[in-house]
Amino acid sequence: MSLVEIKDLKVHYPIRTGFWNRITDSVRAVDGITFNIEAGETYGLVGESGSGKSTTGKSVVGLEKVTSGSILYKGVDITKKANRSRLDYNRDVQMIFQDSLSSLNPRKRIEDIIAEPLRNFEHLSKDEEKLRVLQLLDIVGLDADALYKYPHQFSGGQRQRIGVARAVATNPKLIIADEPVSALDLSVQAQVLNFMKKIQREFGISYLFISHDLGVVRHMCNNIAIMNRGRLVEIGTRDDIYNHPLHIYTKRLLAAIPETNVNQRMAHRASRLAVEKIYQEQQSKYYDENGEAFPLIQVSPTHSVALPETIAKQLASQEGEVQA
Amino acid sequence: MAENFEQHSDVSATDLARLTQEAQAEATPSTAKIIWSEFKADKPAMAALFIIVGFILFVMIGALFINTPKMMETNIMAYFNQPFTADFWLGADSGGRSVAKQLIVGSRNSIGIAIGLTIISSTFGICWGLISGYFNGYIDWGMQRVYDFMMMLPMTMMIIVLVTIIPHYNSVTLTLIFSIFYWEGTSRLIRSRTLAESEKDYVAASKTSGTSNWKIIFREIMPNISSLIIVDCTLSFAENIGVETGLSYLGFGLPAQTPSLGTMIANANDPNNITQYWWTWLPAALEIIILCLSISYIGQVLRRAADASQRQGAAD
Ligand SMILES: Nc1ncnc2c1ncn2[C@@H]1O[C@H](COP(=O)(O)OP(=O)(O)OP(=O)(O)O)[C@@H](O)[C@H]1O
Ligand SMILES: [Mg+2]
Repeated sequence: MSLVEIKDLKVHYPIRTGFWNRITDSVRAVDGITFNIEAGETYGLVGESGSGKSTTGKSVVGLEKVTSGSILYKGVDITKKANRSRLDYNRDVQMIFQDSLSSLNPRKRIEDIIAEPLRNFEHLSKDEEKLRVLQLLDIVGLDADALYKYPHQFSGGQRQRIGVARAVATNPKLIIADEPVSALDLSVQAQVLNFMKKIQREFGISYLFISHDLGVVRHMCNNIAIMNRGRLVEIGTRDDIYNHPLHIYTKRLLAAIPETNVNQRMAHRASRLAVEKIYQEQQSKYYDENGEAFPLIQVSPTHSVALPETIAKQLASQEGEVQA
Repeated sequence: MAENFEQHSDVSATDLARLTQEAQAEATPSTAKIIWSEFKADKPAMAALFIIVGFILFVMIGALFINTPKMMETNIMAYFNQPFTADFWLGADSGGRSVAKQLIVGSRNSIGIAIGLTIISSTFGICWGLISGYFNGYIDWGMQRVYDFMMMLPMTMMIIVLVTIIPHYNSVTLTLIFSIFYWEGTSRLIRSRTLAESEKDYVAASKTSGTSNWKIIFREIMPNISSLIIVDCTLSFAENIGVETGLSYLGFGLPAQTPSLGTMIANANDPNNITQYWWTWLPAALEIIILCLSISYIGQVLRRAADASQRQGAAD
């Protein structure tokens, strides 16, 4: 059994308009997605801005009221609040937030911030608690000086580490990492990613790693889901996604990874423009008449893509030829 | 579980005392220290603080030594006594009552009412606004309808009616009556900030850390809007001195036998008093001006202390 099973999850936000403030329409932030996260793995969720990644992540930790569908954790549907509190769900499932500054209360000292989940879920003595906080700071590579400081006294990278320390404080099974490094510069990104991996090895944590950047996801994730306008357009292993992408949206995201090799800049640019051209011209092939993604079709045991069956098979066999 | 952390970190129980000490050396100063250094950096505000605190202490203690009913007895011999005499420092009014003593007791009454009113109405308004803003949805909707209803009532008229129909009222009942009508502004202000604050990720982080809603409201969100609360409270305090004074001036505040700043300023209703017997009303009027100015100075400093980017003090 998977650690977390997400089934046909939908999160719609009502749009209220008019004099009576009636619900006239809804934003379909997440519109029927299904995937599983295995214990100990890092699952990548990738998509451009506004595709509903954060909303998905927040639903999984129980911050968002879901419209329909289910999220099973150890076989229990945790979209219901009663089930979450019965399981002490957030002791096992924590979140690292996208915006590290806004996720740390500016009025609280670091000690109180990191100890917050400990105080609620584990009832430690004062000294045990302080010791645990110091150990956590040590694990994420911060000095003990940090203990009595406030969040604004730290750099972005350090703040993100504090966020990580808080998330691992109760030794959870799953951490939702919502673009944990998007706001950091490249060298700091690498540092933070490395110690996230280290923590994963040492504590056996699973991550749901949310990002808009396939370049970063490549270093972290074994399985990846590509999200577009609230739906999944492609699911596969790292190899499936990077070497045999089928959906045009995936190809577009891949083309957007910056090329570091200067000699190949021109070639890279040309291929990016080619993909962009196909994306513009072949909307009708890849999306249905409402501009929405098709249901997922399985093309191999690990690989699914949101295309009509015939096209999916055709593209898959083309990919196969290229590889042969 | 704890072993897990022991294994992966070099920190162990033996380091606890040393590391705590190191951290303490680097600790950021406490809020009280920051506020104090802010006052030290701003001389006029410091003066204002001393004036306010000194004055309030003086009238609170001084009033204890004055026998009010006796003081309010009419004394024909002292009819409009000149000020700056041995018995009457600030002269006497038409009833021959000492203006200086009335000023002390009156200030005590007016400031007492203003403090009481500020505490009750602000506490209520803050709680109302926080709860309404945090729990969106039906709770907010219901609370806002109550707010709208209260705003619809003509406040001054209602107070006057209530004061007229309640037979025996004193400072306490008056404070309570005022409180019914003075929490709305605060609650609306606090609600709008709470709405914005509730959207921030630290609130979400507290929720996933298992903190209860009430704790989130009062321990997480409230400290973050403290600068707004402080400013609003100081402004309300200045305003509330005016509320009681204004109504007493109109004759609907405290009864005539209970001196207050308002009843004293009401002496200025008589054209004779304005021109000839200025000492009957001028001290009270000056006092209100000085009090309100000082309070607003103090409010500014508190706001700066609460808002790290505006600080002038050396600490931090
Ligand atoms: N509270 C809300 N009310 C209404 N619409 C919302 C709300 N939260 C999110 N949305 C909408 O849902 C969609 C998905 O938002 P979400 O934050 O999940 O995107 P995202 O993939 O995380 O983007 P980013 O990479 O920029 O963080 C967006 O179109 C957004 O406008
Ligand atoms: Mg997001």
